[in-house]
Amino acid sequence: MRKWFKPISLATVILTGMVLIYGIHDMPALGDPDSPANRHISPRYITEATRKTATPNIVSAVLGDYRSYDTLGESAVIFTASISCLFLLRRIRRQRNHDD
Amino acid sequence: MTEYFLAKYNFWIYVVLMMIGLYAMMGKRNLVKKLIGMNIFQTSIILLFVSAGVKKGGATVPILRHSDYGPEHAEHLIRVADYLNPLPHVLMLTAIVVSIATTGVALATLILIYKRYNTLEEDEIMAIRKDIRSYKTPRILRSKD
Repeated sequence: MRKWFKPISLATVILTGMVLIYGIHDMPALGDPDSPANRHISPRYITEATRKTATPNIVSAVLGDYRSYDTLGESAVIFTASISCLFLLRRIRRQRNHDD
Repeated sequence: MTEYFLAKYNFWIYVVLMMIGLYAMMGKRNLVKKLIGMNIFQTSIILLFVSAGVKKGGATVPILRHSDYGPEHAEHLIRVADYLNPLPHVLMLTAIVVSIATTGVALATLILIYKRYNTLEEDEIMAIRKDIRSYKTPRILRSKD
């Protein structure tokens, strides 16, 4: 079992890579201005964001204004991660003090 | 045929990067190597999304030039083809933050694992846990005596 672990994972990786490479044929070419990602809502952001939010930087306008709830959740993620790091690493110090 | 592959060469790079990360997560036994594999995987996804926003033909970063905004400029003066797609940039900003958060928590957990088992190799940890479950002294402690 232990001996076959690496060949099995290598085979899985190669199979998954072949499936992904098969999926490349449906993707738009690099830098295509008419690709689906560049046609749907991004023209509205580019033409309207500065007029509606008074911010020349469109990325900040979308991040802080159109998708501000997303950014709020993002800061909740950072907060949770930092709090969990704090609690994970605080237990060590207390144990060490207990041993002394 | 060659042009067909060259037009989408970025996706080949991302597939190779993603598979390197996936193999590091599955095939390696060191937990730090697994974590680095997860980071490579996330980086490949971030690159994939950023490349979805690329526009060829003189497009620049999505920050409006001074000539394109102001009270005297109407909406139709801004050419969409002049600026890159801002949406993937915004979404990947969020993804980078999430990846930093997961990496931080994982590193803190790895510190705890190292303090408890004195190793980061997965099979050694499994052996120690097997000894503990069958009420034996772990192998590492036995070898010290």
